[in-house]
Amino acid sequence: MAEEFNTDGMLDMYLYENGQLLERLQEIVLEQKDEECFDEESINEIFRTMHTIKGSSGIMMFDDITAAAHKLEDVFFYLRESHPKNVPHLELVEHVLEVADFITGEMEKIENGETADGDSSEIIEKIDKFLNTIKKENGDAGADGEEKKNVHVEPKQFYIAPMATSDSHFYKIYLTYSPGIELANVHAYKTVYALKGIAEDILYSPEDIISNEHSAEEILENGFKILLQTQSTEAELKKMIQTGYELEKVEIYPCSAKDYQQGFEGIGSEIRIDLDSSVEEITAKAKQQEKAEPKKEMAPGDFVIASKEPGKSRKLAKDKPKKSEKAAFISVDVSKMDMLMDLIGELVISESVVLQNQDLKVPGLKLDNFNKAAAQMAKISTDLQNVIMSMRMVPLTNTFQKMNRIVFDVSRKLGKDIEFEMIGETTEVDKNIIEHISDPLMHLVRNSVDHGVETKEEREAAGKKEKGKVTLSAKTESGKVWIGVTDNGRGLERDKIMAKARKQGLLDPSRAESSYTDKEVYQFITLPGFSTNEQVTEYSGRGVGMDVVVSNLQSIGGALEIESTPGEGSTMLLKIPLTLAIIDGVVMEVGNSSFVMETGVVKEFVSVNEDMMVREPNGKEHVMIRGECYPVLRLGDWYHLDGYKTNVEEGMMVITEVEKKNICIFVDRLVGKQEIVVKPIPGYIRKVKGLTGCTQLGDGSIALILDAAGMIE
Amino acid sequence: MSEQHDTQKDKYVTFKSGNEYFGLKIEYVNEIIVFQEITAIPESEDYIKGLINLRGKIIPVIDVRIRFKQEPFEYNDRTCIIVINVKSTVVGLIVEKIAEVAEIPEENVLPSPTLGHGDNSQNQYVYAIGKVGDNVKLLLDPDKLINDEDLSAMEQAQEAPEEGEEEL
Repeated sequence: MAEEFNTDGMLDMYLYENGQLLERLQEIVLEQKDEECFDEESINEIFRTMHTIKGSSGIMMFDDITAAAHKLEDVFFYLRESHPKNVPHLELVEHVLEVADFITGEMEKIENGETADGDSSEIIEKIDKFLNTIKKENGDAGADGEEKKNVHVEPKQFYIAPMATSDSHFYKIYLTYSPGIELANVHAYKTVYALKGIAEDILYSPEDIISNEHSAEEILENGFKILLQTQSTEAELKKMIQTGYELEKVEIYPCSAKDYQQGFEGIGSEIRIDLDSSVEEITAKAKQQEKAEPKKEMAPGDFVIASKEPGKSRKLAKDKPKKSEKAAFISVDVSKMDMLMDLIGELVISESVVLQNQDLKVPGLKLDNFNKAAAQMAKISTDLQNVIMSMRMVPLTNTFQKMNRIVFDVSRKLGKDIEFEMIGETTEVDKNIIEHISDPLMHLVRNSVDHGVETKEEREAAGKKEKGKVTLSAKTESGKVWIGVTDNGRGLERDKIMAKARKQGLLDPSRAESSYTDKEVYQFITLPGFSTNEQVTEYSGRGVGMDVVVSNLQSIGGALEIESTPGEGSTMLLKIPLTLAIIDGVVMEVGNSSFVMETGVVKEFVSVNEDMMVREPNGKEHVMIRGECYPVLRLGDWYHLDGYKTNVEEGMMVITEVEKKNICIFVDRLVGKQEIVVKPIPGYIRKVKGLTGCTQLGDGSIALILDAAGMIE
Repeated sequence: MSEQHDTQKDKYVTFKSGNEYFGLKIEYVNEIIVFQEITAIPESEDYIKGLINLRGKIIPVIDVRIRFKQEPFEYNDRTCIIVINVKSTVVGLIVEKIAEVAEIPEENVLPSPTLGHGDNSQNQYVYAIGKVGDNVKLLLDPDKLINDEDLSAMEQAQEAPEEGEEEL
């Protein structure tokens, strides 16, 4: 049982970490997709990401993920080391995204408890081809000069290996690679890199495996030789270097320290290698050995070998990227966060219990010092609230970035040139909400790109000069998150939708067709079944799966609003309530009950006279305030409460405004303004219209939170 | 865990409602608290009295007497709220008076016969009868007590038209 739990934990960690890495990867790639090439930092980061994924997937034995990550790592390794020019950037971007998708897909399978059975060989093949192309393009042309320059520099750099002890063993290792294998030098370097972890000292030949592309041929021809000083046993080494599809033969011979100090001298093929190398290289190597040798004498066992420049090898250090990430983020159980949230909510409430305590209201008390201390405490508790809120709240940036990806993919597939713009992507919403809006958003964005924005020819024909554009925007207003997907495409066509609605019998025969507002008409496309109509899809597009979008939104209490101007584009507006929050609320009383309404929706409070009231014969009431007529809702009546005031002159009118609709709510008395912690009404009690939740007031009693939007309905 | 089970085995929290004594298996009972102020919820069933604030947790409370269709009673300082947890739904039960924690061995638990109390609806939450000395306790099925079928049917009937309205 315990063991099972452990692997579960590892798997969770694996999925979580790699998920994060992949997200970051996509972000980098998409950020620079329009540039000519990746900058050095991104290349390094992509390389590191792939390296980490490869490593962890290897441990978890997901071979296909490992292989795909490995292949991409190879590409970026080459980019990083050789700085090739003329890399087809878009193609590269696509390859990276392809690998990212593959891994994400596999990880989803793993997460759902399925086996990761995807086959990465096709992707690998493609990338291989791509790598070869860029190599060919860059290999002979500009690379030579550049590489020679590298040769000049590199051997001068030294790498001081970890201290040796008397327990050290010395080995000579001969590796023979399968003939015809690509990038034998890179494979060789990886072996060296792996050995570095256990090596006290390491020497290898040929040495210029990174900078000299021809070394690959040498390795294929003559094999790759390593001299290793280590504490590990032969068996352990054998485990590390295993024959595989690239490695044909591994020979490991133990040798004495003396043999070791002779370096490759005793190995005949050494000369052959030098013959192939450039003059500079030989001198450089001689220098290296010169330097290496005296050092050995000074401190036996403290060997120095030629290596990459220290700066680079530092970057390669295995757990470097991981460490920095761990310092920046820790993952916390959501239930603990909820607990903390509850506790802080409690604190806020008990603070108001203390500060508004009845005992303080005794006349004649000197409270100066108390008030000072109280103000300080109030400040801290506000800060605390802000922090916990910000912890639960996640910016939409990541979600929006994913949409960027979709725009990129779909527009390329359709051959449309579409610009993507994000506004307010740093808007923060509760994590739960993010999980729920991802799919609907994806759908809307895809619709916009696919059906909304026209092709270039169509745009030209319509006289539209600007580029096709999809805008994602987010803001918070009146306690709701508003997320908009806007395009400057052809817009919805009312006539087509009306025709379809007529056919499906959705129109009310007693109403004139012209009496339907645009809003009403557009809402038709969100009805299930309406979407499948080919004609609407063909002409105005919107509709495929819109009902799914709406039902997804409804599950978190959100709604979809559609605005459109024919020929100019359309906007899909998602309105989602902030479910979990500390909000500013106005507390009011009706009878014995307390209610809270969010400050944002309250326009004003008015005391009215009887002669301002307008009563319809059917019992509906209105009130005229400064020439405006508002419908009146008596809260006591609405909820059948006891002991509420009926005389309008005794109570208070609260004018609320939601989405430009006004309603006047009649209450007995206003209590005050207070910060409140929104809590859900227990699920046991069925949903009551117009109530969104409940909260505790300063005196510990419970108030119900009114949802003005619900009441207007 | 198993030990704890053993100590809880056969133990029932008994309380008085009307003229009867009722018993609830102790494993369902979280705690017993003194009566506190209740915030009414509009438009809910009459026996759902509203919400209470239990150390920061907001939980619904129901009046057992009204639930049993007995005469309502005045709450006083002897009135208690039994907080029960049934399948992670936490609900408070307002009862007139807590009697005791009684041990009723299995052999003294008899299946519920048809009661002659005139109100057959009681049968649905009374699943058995426990004998303690000369007294009889009606053992309650808490799941049925808080979620009876009538209720869910009613719920559905009331929710359906609401949804319809929203679509319009």
